[in-house]
Amino acid sequence: MNTKHFLHLFARASFGASQKDIINSSNLSPAQVVDFLFDTSKAMTPLDVDVSGFKNINKKDLDKKVVQELQKKSRNKIKTFNIKWIERLESSQELLREKMTLFWANHFVCRDNNILFVQNYNNTLRANALGNFGDFVKAVSKEAAMIKYLNNKQNRKLRPNENFARELMELFMLGVGNYTETDIKESARAFTGYNHDLNGNFKTRDFQHDEGEKTFFGKTGNFNGDDIINIILEQKQCARFICGKIYKYFVNETINKEHVEELTNRFFKDYDIEKLMRYIFNSDWFYSEENIGTKIKSPIELLVGMNKIVPMAFKKQRDVFKIQKLLGQMLLNPPNVAGWKGGKNWIDSNTIMLRLKLPSILLGNAQISVKPKGEFEDTYEEFYAKGKRKKIINVTPNWEAFEKQFENATIKDIKEQLIIAQLSDGTQTYLNSLSQSSKREYCIQLMSLPEYQMC
Amino acid sequence: MDRRHFLKQSTLASSLLFVPSFVKAFENISPKSIGYKRLVMIQLSGGNDGLNTIVPFNNDAYYNSRPKIAISKNEVLKASSDLGFNANLLPLKRLYDDGHLTVINNVGYPNPNRSHFRATDIWQTASDSNEYLQEGWIGRYLDHYGNEPYNAIEIDDSLSLALKGKTINGIAAKNPEILFKTSQDPYFKNVLKHYQDEHLSEHNLGYLYKTMIAAESSAKHIFDKHQTAKSEQEYPDNEFSNQLKTTAKLINSGLETRIFYSSLGGFDTHSGQINRQGRLLKTYAEGVDAFVKDLKTQGTFNDTLIVTFSEFGRRVKQNAANGTDHGSASNVFIIGNQLKKQGFYNELASLSDLDDNGDLKYNVDFRSIYATVLSNWLAVEDERVLNKSFAKLDFI
Repeated sequence: MNTKHFLHLFARASFGASQKDIINSSNLSPAQVVDFLFDTSKAMTPLDVDVSGFKNINKKDLDKKVVQELQKKSRNKIKTFNIKWIERLESSQELLREKMTLFWANHFVCRDNNILFVQNYNNTLRANALGNFGDFVKAVSKEAAMIKYLNNKQNRKLRPNENFARELMELFMLGVGNYTETDIKESARAFTGYNHDLNGNFKTRDFQHDEGEKTFFGKTGNFNGDDIINIILEQKQCARFICGKIYKYFVNETINKEHVEELTNRFFKDYDIEKLMRYIFNSDWFYSEENIGTKIKSPIELLVGMNKIVPMAFKKQRDVFKIQKLLGQMLLNPPNVAGWKGGKNWIDSNTIMLRLKLPSILLGNAQISVKPKGEFEDTYEEFYAKGKRKKIINVTPNWEAFEKQFENATIKDIKEQLIIAQLSDGTQTYLNSLSQSSKREYCIQLMSLPEYQMC
Repeated sequence: MDRRHFLKQSTLASSLLFVPSFVKAFENISPKSIGYKRLVMIQLSGGNDGLNTIVPFNNDAYYNSRPKIAISKNEVLKASSDLGFNANLLPLKRLYDDGHLTVINNVGYPNPNRSHFRATDIWQTASDSNEYLQEGWIGRYLDHYGNEPYNAIEIDDSLSLALKGKTINGIAAKNPEILFKTSQDPYFKNVLKHYQDEHLSEHNLGYLYKTMIAAESSAKHIFDKHQTAKSEQEYPDNEFSNQLKTTAKLINSGLETRIFYSSLGGFDTHSGQINRQGRLLKTYAEGVDAFVKDLKTQGTFNDTLIVTFSEFGRRVKQNAANGTDHGSASNVFIIGNQLKKQGFYNELASLSDLDDNGDLKYNVDFRSIYATVLSNWLAVEDERVLNKSFAKLDFI
C-alpha cells in the first residue's frame, strides 16, 4: 500500500502510524491492510478499573453519609477511568475498535457520576462499536447511565418524560426535522417504566409502563421501547443519518451526497457497522486528495497522536485533565447531549494558540527552537527568559522511545509521517532554514505547525 | 468559505507587522465607525423556567400545574398585583425598584423548537424555526458594522455561533492576559511571516492560519487596553461573576467592543428543580448586581444595556421528578438606566390557554427585541443584520 494512503487510513481509523507500521505496510496490498485493521479489532478488551466497592450495595445501608462517601470515591474513580481510557487509546492493538468507541461516545452522548454505570456504558460502546446498529441502540437504551442521563428513570405512565424519546430521534437515530412532536409524545410512552438496579442492571417497572396503544410513524400498537427502535430502523432516513455522521467523522466534514447515499444503501440492508466501515476503507474515494489531511484533529486525536510519536508520562493526573479542559474535550464529560461539534468548532483564538504551543509545553520546556542554520546562539532566548517560567505541566517525555522509532529514519521520513496535510512552500522554506541537526527539535517544530493539527 | 470570502476576512491582519503580501491590496478599505454604546448579552443555558423566575402568585392554574414545585405566595418578592420575583433574585428586584429593569414576558417565536441545541441556534442566529443559518446575529452585525474581532467579545474559552459572521468572527477572551502571552511566541510569528496564499485553497487549514493571525492582533489590543482599567468592585467568587468582572474591565478600559456575550449554564432542570434553579438564579442576580455597581462607579452604566435570555422556558405542568420538561415562551430581562418602559413590559400570557404541548404561547418575537436593540441602542439598520423586518418594541 502506498505510504500516503496508508498514513491517511491510519490517521482516520486510528491515531496515526509508527515508522515500523509504515515499513511493514509497504509490502501489503490495500485490501490486506484493511483486513489487518478488522482482524486486530475482532477481540474486545473491556476497560476496567476496580469497582468492587460499588457492587452489591445493600439499599438499607445507604444513609446520607455513606452516599456522600460513595459519591466522592466514584468521582475519583471516574477520573482514573478517564486516564485509563486515554492510555488505552495510546496503546491498544484493537486500533479500529477503540477509534470507533471514541466516535460512538460522541454519538450516544452520555454522562454519569456513578463509576459502575460509566464503566458499563463505556464497555457497551466498545462491545457494539463494530456490531449491529439496531442491537447497539437497544443496548444503549437499557444502560443505567443513559436511563439516568436522559430521564427515562422519571418516565412514567400518565406522567411521561420526553427527554430520551426526543434525543433518540433527534441525535441518535434520525436527525432534526425527521419526526413530529406527536412521534415524541407517543414514543416516550413506550419507554415508560425503564429502570435499573444499584448494580446497573436493566429492569422494567411494569406498573409504571404505559400498556396503552401508541401511534408512531403510522403504526399503532402497544409498543415497548425496542418496538419503537425497530420502527425507526425501518426508516431509511435512520441509515442515512448514521452514514452521514460516520462520513463526516471518518471521511470528510463536507458531505458528498452521492457517497453518503451509496453508504446508506449498503447500511440500510442490515445495519452492520463493520461491513459499512469495510466498504468505506475499501472505496477509492476514501483515498482521494480532498479527503487526505483535511480534517481538524480533535483534542484527543491530537494528544494521543503526539503520544504515539513521543510517549509521555504525566506526573500528576490533574495535568491531563487540565489539558483536556483547555483544549475543549474532556473524555466522559461532554458539554451536552449533542456532544462536541468538532471540526472548526474546536478552533478559536484560545485553542489554536494552545494547540500550537502544546508540543513545546509538553516536550520542550515551552520553547520551540528558532535557531537558524549555522548559528549557535538562539536569538530568541531573551524572549523566553523574560517572565518567570514556572513549569505549568510536569511531564517526562520518553525520548529514548522516539530515538528508537526513528533510528533509521531521515528528516524527510519524519516529516512525511507527522505532516499529512500539504505543507505550503513558505512554511517549507522556513522549516528548511532552521537547523535540522536534532531530530527531537525537528519533531517539536513540525508538531507546532498548523499543518500538524490536520489529519 | 470560498476564496473571495477568505480574502475579505484576512484584511483583519492588516494591523500586524507580518502582513502577508496579498492582503496589502485590501488595506484601503475604509474603516467603519464604531459608536460608544455597549450591549451585554447573557444566556441562561439549558432553558430557564420563567414561571418560577417571575412568579404569577395569584394564578390558580400555576399552583394546580405544579403541586410540588410552585413557589408559594408568601415566598415571592411581590412586584405587581400578580407577578413577583423568585426570592433568590433579590438584587434584581432592587434593580426593578430603581427603574433599571424591564421584564418582557412571553418571548418566543412561531413553531418553537424544544431541543437545546436547535433552540440555542435559533436564538443565536435569529432564524425562523425551520431555517438553518450559518452565521450568528452578532456575527452579521460584525459583517456590516465591525472592523476587528474584538468589536464583539465572548467571555468564554470558545466562540458561540452567535458571534460567527460570514466575513469576520468575534473573539473569545476569557482571560486577556493568558490570551496575550500565548500569542507572543517567536516561532509562531516566523511561521506566519512565511505564510502564503496557497493555504487559502485549503478550507480547514486556511482557517487555522487565519485564526492565528487574527488572534495575535486582537489578543495584543485587548490586553493593552485591559491593563489600563482598574476596579475596586468586589464580585462573588464564581465563574459567572468572573465573566462579568472581565466584561466590566473591558468596558471601562474604553475598548472598542460593542457587544459582549456571556452565559450561565445548568438550567435544564428535569428533576429536583427548586434547589438547582434557586442556586443558579442567586448566582445570576448577585453577579449582575456587582456588575451594575461596578459600571455605575465608573460611569459606564449609562451606556451599557444588559439583555438576559434563555433558549426556551419550561412546561407549565411539572413532571414526576419535581422538575419541568422543555417548554417554549419565556421572559427576557433588559437592564439599564435608559429604559422607556420600566418594570413589566407586558402581561403574562394565559396559563390555561396553552399550546398543544402544554406550553405558554408567545406573543413577543425575540427578534423584535434584537431589532429594537440594534436600531434604538446600537443605532444600526436592524434589517441588514436580521435579514428581514421585525416590529420594534418600545422599551428603549
